[in-house]
Amino acid sequence: MELTKETLLDMLYYMKLTREIETRIERKLYRQGKIVGGVYVGRGQEAIAVGSAIQLEKDDCICPSHRDMGAYLIRGMSPRVILAQYMGRKTGATQGKDANMHMGDMSKNIVAFVSMLADTVPVAAGVALTFKIRKQKNVVLCYFGDGATSRGDWHEGLNLASVQKVPVIFICNNNQYAYSTPIEKQMAIKDIAVRAQAYGMPGVTVDGNDILAVYEETRSAIERARGNEGPSLIECKTFRMTGHSAHDDVKYVPKHLFQEWEKKDPILRLETSLLQNKTVTEADVKRLAARIAREVDEAVTLAENDPYPEPHEALEGVYADQLAEAPLSFVDTFFSRQT
Amino acid sequence: MAAPTTYLEAIRQGIWEEMERNENVFILGEDVGVYGGAFKVTEGMIERFGEDRVIDTPISEAAIVGAAIGAALMGMRPIAEMQFADFIACAFDQITNFAAKCRYRWGAGVPLVIRGPSGGGIHGGPFHSQNPEMHFVHTPGLKVVAPSTAYDAKGLIKSAIRDEDPVIYFEHKFLYRRIKEELPEKEFVVPIGKADIKRSGSDISVITYGAMVHNALEAATVLAEEGIDLEVVDLRTLLPLDKERILESVKKTNKVILVHEDVRTGGIAGELAAIIAEEAFEYLDGPIMRITAPDTPVPYSPPLEEFFFPKTSDIIRVAKQLATY
Amino acid sequence: MAANVIMPQMGESIFEGTITKWLRKVGDFVKRDEPLFEISTDKVDSEIPAPASGVLSEIRVKEGETVQINTVVAVISEEGAAQPAAPQPDVASQESRNSTRLAAQPSIGKVERDEGGQTVRSSPLVRRIAKVENVDLSDLEGTGLGGRITKKDILGYLTERQKVAEVTRPMVQQVAQDMAETLQSGVDRTEVVPMSLMRKSIAEHMVASRRISAHVTTVFEVDMSRIVQLKNQHAQDFLNKEGIKLSYMPFFIRTVSEGLKEFPMLNASIVDTNIVYRKDINIGVAVALDWGLIVPVIKNADEKSFLGLARAAVDLAARARRKRLAPEDVQNGTFTITNPGVFGSLLGTPIINQPQVAILCIGAITKRPVVINDAIAIRSMAYLTLTFDHRLIDGALADQFMVSIKAKLEGWEEKLF
Repeated sequence: MELTKETLLDMLYYMKLTREIETRIERKLYRQGKIVGGVYVGRGQEAIAVGSAIQLEKDDCICPSHRDMGAYLIRGMSPRVILAQYMGRKTGATQGKDANMHMGDMSKNIVAFVSMLADTVPVAAGVALTFKIRKQKNVVLCYFGDGATSRGDWHEGLNLASVQKVPVIFICNNNQYAYSTPIEKQMAIKDIAVRAQAYGMPGVTVDGNDILAVYEETRSAIERARGNEGPSLIECKTFRMTGHSAHDDVKYVPKHLFQEWEKKDPILRLETSLLQNKTVTEADVKRLAARIAREVDEAVTLAENDPYPEPHEALEGVYADQLAEAPLSFVDTFFSRQT
Repeated sequence: MAAPTTYLEAIRQGIWEEMERNENVFILGEDVGVYGGAFKVTEGMIERFGEDRVIDTPISEAAIVGAAIGAALMGMRPIAEMQFADFIACAFDQITNFAAKCRYRWGAGVPLVIRGPSGGGIHGGPFHSQNPEMHFVHTPGLKVVAPSTAYDAKGLIKSAIRDEDPVIYFEHKFLYRRIKEELPEKEFVVPIGKADIKRSGSDISVITYGAMVHNALEAATVLAEEGIDLEVVDLRTLLPLDKERILESVKKTNKVILVHEDVRTGGIAGELAAIIAEEAFEYLDGPIMRITAPDTPVPYSPPLEEFFFPKTSDIIRVAKQLATY
Repeated sequence: MAANVIMPQMGESIFEGTITKWLRKVGDFVKRDEPLFEISTDKVDSEIPAPASGVLSEIRVKEGETVQINTVVAVISEEGAAQPAAPQPDVASQESRNSTRLAAQPSIGKVERDEGGQTVRSSPLVRRIAKVENVDLSDLEGTGLGGRITKKDILGYLTERQKVAEVTRPMVQQVAQDMAETLQSGVDRTEVVPMSLMRKSIAEHMVASRRISAHVTTVFEVDMSRIVQLKNQHAQDFLNKEGIKLSYMPFFIRTVSEGLKEFPMLNASIVDTNIVYRKDINIGVAVALDWGLIVPVIKNADEKSFLGLARAAVDLAARARRKRLAPEDVQNGTFTITNPGVFGSLLGTPIINQPQVAILCIGAITKRPVVINDAIAIRSMAYLTLTFDHRLIDGALADQFMVSIKAKLEGWEEKLF
């Protein structure tokens, strides 16, 4: 199937937007003390989220992980909301309740993940189960890393999804490292895709830095899912170009690997290809860079000036119908009555 | 009124009515469909509602709950069954880290129900007799209920299904077929978060839940002949606690016995005792008493199990002692 | 080997089973593990094998009968031998075992000091009541463990302690002294019984009241026919729906509280030369007890529904008789109703309950011939007397109040529930 020029340009845009926002977060705002806590970026892995999510329909759903910012952007979460989220502001996606990429928005069918990675795998199966029960032709894209595939929930989720034959596409970002644990210490197999066989679903391995390959494999999987043929597993081989988090010095990764994978950078590859086949010009590229810089500057400025939540808001949102009790509420009234 | 309905049948009716009322309600769990459930709670449902709405799953409590969460996020109303409440531990992460925290973190409601038979007295041993409720009472964002009568069982399962937040519903297996009552023909629900005075009295408040409610009522009958008038407060909901009702009772009788089948340490009696001591200190005419199981796993052999669980005679003895204080 | 054959438990929640078929009969020799009988339970039908070899000497449960699990349904004896001496212990119910429970023992026998440095044992509740009621705990004797002063002790003390106007004490003491001297002279033909605390306070209160207020009484006759009819009509319904008996009292309480709103001076008190108007309408209803008299109060009677008044009246009277009134139940009344009509009295001249200024007395409701539109009719009539304090209330006002009460009772309109 031929990709339209529009889609190709969108791919470039979203990957570059992701890169720019994450760079600001990791190299500027975090180092300026404007972001506290953890920062986890997906530098060098942008093709996986963008190549897959770009082809979704409105009522499809994503269950992303922490290195899939491109998917959030494609589904309609704005850079401003993401940056405010990182900076713990009231205008952030979780209004200050949670940090960094731990966010979601059901109005955009984005499910927020939890730190216990792979927990979203059965959840994604449940979303897909809903599509099956309601006889909708929609699909769920569920993203996770190599480390997450070691967890029990991952296996239970794939098993349930396949025995129930629900429309979910499991996309593995195999960036070779889970924190400091290289893939050889994580599992005895070479390719995660072989696990698909154990659960009776198709599994493929693809070059995760080739956005067109990611796009194509996801397209087939989506077609199968919409055709009631059940789930698939797509393993995207890539490399984590940063530490696990912004505070990781990553000494455990051999330096030469960074150099090798630099050359395979997904954005560079797409851009080069589009320039070569004249889909874009150098001027287009420059304009795109300027547009992205402007959008991100604006978003950062707005987010930086957004208010923090009020302290008492910590008690809100536990339940639909009541507030949590402030721990010292009785003490104060009791002692004021004594006098 | 209809013929007397058992506690188990009341739960079945409640679920059935909600399935009829709202097509988004569905059931998933092990052996719930074709077999009708290990205890037959879901008997007849797959025939009526189809396999899309009564789903037989693999043995995967984490996936059962995870899938329920995903469906609930999409607006379905799943009822996930834990074949024995003991097995809820396998889904602890999904329940406490995912389901309980969605609304707080990102405003997404998770209107699911997780239900299963808890409690002992049926020679079940350590893994078929547990009272795991406190692990979840300890988790903000969840609601935890434990009915003691057929009426409450039906009313609470309906409320749980209709609730916008995740509800863990512990049904006491000892009560399944042992208690019956006539239920109203007209539809009714029992609100979550409201305790119930099962017996009004003036001398001592016995605050409890689940099967122990019946032991407390038995004790009350015996003690009434000796001039000790017990008030039996059935918590019904463990989270959120009905502090108002509890404190009202304590302020009326001025003496308290807290009873539960759960182990002593970390059982809800500790929480209640702290609330009462803090907020009703000047209404106490005696120390707060607790009658609980000891801090051990549930043993199997009959004499050991008998020793483990609190009995009516314990309540009688403690009440008599407290009454003379 | 002899053995009891028991009804087994086929499933965790199962607690009874039905014998559907005996496969052997009494007198048969049965071998261990061979099928002996069939049962049916909620979950499953099953064939049950014999637990031992021997002669099936006794079948205790017939086909079609349902029994609890662990019930002995039959006995297998050794060939020719008698039945087993005693049934196996039923392990499911070991109530006789003396297992220690983990309830903490209340601390007995420890003497604690409270803030005032007194060595008085009580409880937070008792100390609070003592503080509010100005009671010195060392005045009381405790009946609790170790001599502790209990809730019952302090409430009992308060119920028997009535507030008395100081001015009456010297006068009362003088009379008492005179009486004592008289009694001394005729000592053989008399028996001296000391008064109870309650009787002493009633006595003091009655004479004090007479001395304080200028008692005047006005009498009205009220046609209670309509209310009698309503009560008879609705009594059963009321009992069924609300669980309490419908008496005449809520009707009177309602009309009195409406009347007091119309004529607030009857709800007032006199302090020195000031008229203290009371905003709350707290109506006391006198309750006759075997051991005396008490007046529990319905607070804010004007804010309650008819049903609420009925409940309150029943509740207070019941608790009064069980000696379970709290101090606040007998305080702060602003008007009193007494009802000697239940004992047959037609008409009374009650004594005002200080510091109130009026009291309504309800006589017996009897059928009497009365003249209506120049014809004789039989109606249920009652005399209502109002005794009022003429220091504050003039006759005209008292009568206006009574006219209003009478009209409301005779033309009762409010729905009961």
